Amino acid sequence: MVQFNLPKNSKILPGQYFKDKTGSSNLKIVHIYRWNPEKNENPREDTFEVDMDTCGNKVLDILNKIKNEIDSSLTYRRSCAHGVCGSCAMNVDGVNTLSCLKSHKDINGDLRIYPLPHLKVIKDLVADLNTLYKQYESIEPWLKIKKLKSQKNEINQPKESRDKLDGLYECIMCACCSTSCPSYWWSGEKYLGPAVLLQAYRWISDSRDEEKKERLKMVADKLKLYRCHTIMNCTSSCPKGLNPAKAIGSIKKMLATS
Amino acid sequence: MSDSKNPLSPHLQIYRWQISSLLSITHRITGILNLFGLIFISAWICSAGIGENLFEYFSILLKTFFGKFILIGFTWSMSYHLLSGIRHFFWDLGYGYEIKTANFSGIIVVISSFVMTIILWLIGKGLI
Repeated sequence: MVQFNLPKNSKILPGQYFKDKTGSSNLKIVHIYRWNPEKNENPREDTFEVDMDTCGNKVLDILNKIKNEIDSSLTYRRSCAHGVCGSCAMNVDGVNTLSCLKSHKDINGDLRIYPLPHLKVIKDLVADLNTLYKQYESIEPWLKIKKLKSQKNEINQPKESRDKLDGLYECIMCACCSTSCPSYWWSGEKYLGPAVLLQAYRWISDSRDEEKKERLKMVADKLKLYRCHTIMNCTSSCPKGLNPAKAIGSIKKMLATS
Repeated sequence: MSDSKNPLSPHLQIYRWQISSLLSITHRITGILNLFGLIFISAWICSAGIGENLFEYFSILLKTFFGKFILIGFTWSMSYHLLSGIRHFFWDLGYGYEIKTANFSGIIVVISSFVMTIILWLIGKGLI
């Protein structure tokens, strides 16, 4: 049975309030989800007043400023800060996105930051993505060619075939889409989710791959694939502007017509 | 890492509703309402076969505000589910996955569902 409420130990309690000490008049109020594994307490929502005169526009800039100047215990994943690595995926203002690409100027009023939804929290904004990585592994995301060892030359691909991978190969597996999907929330252990299905479709569409049929057969499952009901939260959250809903639709269509 | 002491991050509680997700949940809800609506209509028809008194009782019930609300609501629910279902067929054929297109088709479905309800009732009342 689907549980719509949060479990008892996950209810969010009011947290600390960090008042501005700079005396700036250009303040942004930022609410951030906090949970410390070393304390046996419920998660809480801390509030920070951030001086925007000395801070960059992106949400990641704000998080870095808080970590550097206000509370060094704030924990979150980040690496490239340019929307390429996919580490800083989180829920900003109710929608999943990469905090390094999202400008606070697009958000009216207070800024609210939570970890990616419906995952086990490891600490603060860091959530456990192990299930998703295992699912990614299960679709065998590599080129499958029978005579790979005897293959001496590069495998040529006509331009038209290569074009079919546009809109798919750009995916950086940040998990924004999968964790925005209600179907993935309710059956994330079995349903592969938009990110992994987009990847599955990327290999199904690759003209060089020789196991298209086997790949299609692998995902053709009531739970793995057909839990997608075209809610489209995935497409509206993708920070790279890709369309996982369309990729899933294309797999369904391929299965229906093959 | 994911032992039970780790909390679950908030989901429904914090996720912002999108046009697409609202329309999707409405499709489901109307689907369930249609089931009850059909049971109700079937009971009405059956009552005619069981006895005059029972049918009379149903007819009085349907003429009340509550009865009319149920009938008009059921017509809308049927219209919405039907039109939204057609939208799903287009997706199954591979069209209309862009967010702009999907939002547009969704709004068309909502407006048409009300128009369809009005037209069906006008036809039913013999006004068209």
